[in-house]
Amino acid sequence: MATPAIKGPKRGVSIYSYSGEWGVTMNLEDCFKDIYDMGATGVEILANGHIDNYPQPTNEWMDNWFRLCTKYNITPVEYGHWVTSRLYRGIMELNTEESLRMLKQDIILAHRLGFTVLRTKLGVIDWILTPVRNWREIILGALDLAERYNVCMCPEIHQPTALSSKMVADYVEFIDKYQTKNFGLNIDFGTFQNVWSKDRPPIPGVPEDGSPCSYPHELRALLPYIHACHAKFNNMSEDFQETTIPYPEIIKEFVDGGWDGYFLSEYEGPHKDEPGFVSEQLKRQHVMMKRILGY
Amino acid sequence: MLEYEGVQYKGFRNLYNEDGEAIGFQVGIRLITYRGAWLSQFRFAYVEVDGEKYRADRCTFVVSGVEYTYEETFTLGRVKWPLDEAMIIRVKKPGGLSQGNHTVSALYGEVASYIPGDAGEIDETRTSHGHSEAIGFTREMIIV
Repeated sequence: MATPAIKGPKRGVSIYSYSGEWGVTMNLEDCFKDIYDMGATGVEILANGHIDNYPQPTNEWMDNWFRLCTKYNITPVEYGHWVTSRLYRGIMELNTEESLRMLKQDIILAHRLGFTVLRTKLGVIDWILTPVRNWREIILGALDLAERYNVCMCPEIHQPTALSSKMVADYVEFIDKYQTKNFGLNIDFGTFQNVWSKDRPPIPGVPEDGSPCSYPHELRALLPYIHACHAKFNNMSEDFQETTIPYPEIIKEFVDGGWDGYFLSEYEGPHKDEPGFVSEQLKRQHVMMKRILGY
Repeated sequence: MLEYEGVQYKGFRNLYNEDGEAIGFQVGIRLITYRGAWLSQFRFAYVEVDGEKYRADRCTFVVSGVEYTYEETFTLGRVKWPLDEAMIIRVKKPGGLSQGNHTVSALYGEVASYIPGDAGEIDETRTSHGHSEAIGFTREMIIV
């Protein structure tokens, strides 16, 4: 079965969602089967966790990867990886050269596995997730390679980071300045969370009055810079509603703006280690997304 | 497949020298998170058995079949502790552990650069592993 050529938001799943069962009750094929069952067609893996013998997978592992993608009709969408800035004791920000070594290694491996988007996780230096001070040098040093291998490096804009923050403005300025298609944004829907548990402890950077970090309408100007999204969710009710994040408003922005790409589900609620629990939550979320999208 | 708990029952046994004398014991631990760690990111406080703590100076650490001292791991930024592999901790203890039941726990973690403020050694006043849920780090296990 060929992947339907839908232009618009498409449904996928990040293997992150299964992390409570990974290696204990589920392996890669189990995850792919589950994704296939919900009719989703894209996947995100976390390279450092889900690739055997990372960063040098065997040919056997590579063969199996492509076999699974074909068998379950899954497109490799996003390759999650880390530029590990605190790699050594006493060093809070790894130098540019070694950071680039790691990043380049991941660009090449991501391409070999068929991915086109990288969720490039840079180290942070404070409680509101400001990236390492040399992020521009690191990204700039990898742009040529990313272009050659046709991948886009995307930092994840994650709660408590707001779409209206200086961090996002800095990234957009960088993209505009270099006119690059190889650096962009991954938006994590947790930034739109507007319902909280009553006894929530304060989260640094999150408004204390219960309002969200970001509002869906703020997506509009950013859509051209967004290459993938983390469809973060915390709780799907039995009647297929996400109770903490305004999905209908979020999805409407992407549809109205003519955005084309993948929503990759990330379950962030409790009971992740309870066999089958996350699968049920994912299926409810995909019912919701399917209903909102109309396909 | 791994066991769910941080401390693994599989692999828990005494270690012997060529003369058949028990020289210590070993126990496996796993990362309860969603990504593997580079060995330079590994942090270890102790293995505790029946109230006695065995710290890094009495332990070695086996990853993918290779045995390291704790100090050696500090510089191993290109050697991986895979997410789906138990690390075996070998503990020096002349005579090994006695036959029967033991309460075994371990305190360890890994550094995450993308989490604010997470830089250093394990805070032993906290009962849980840095960023994972506080589950399965203590188990009742039998030495045969």
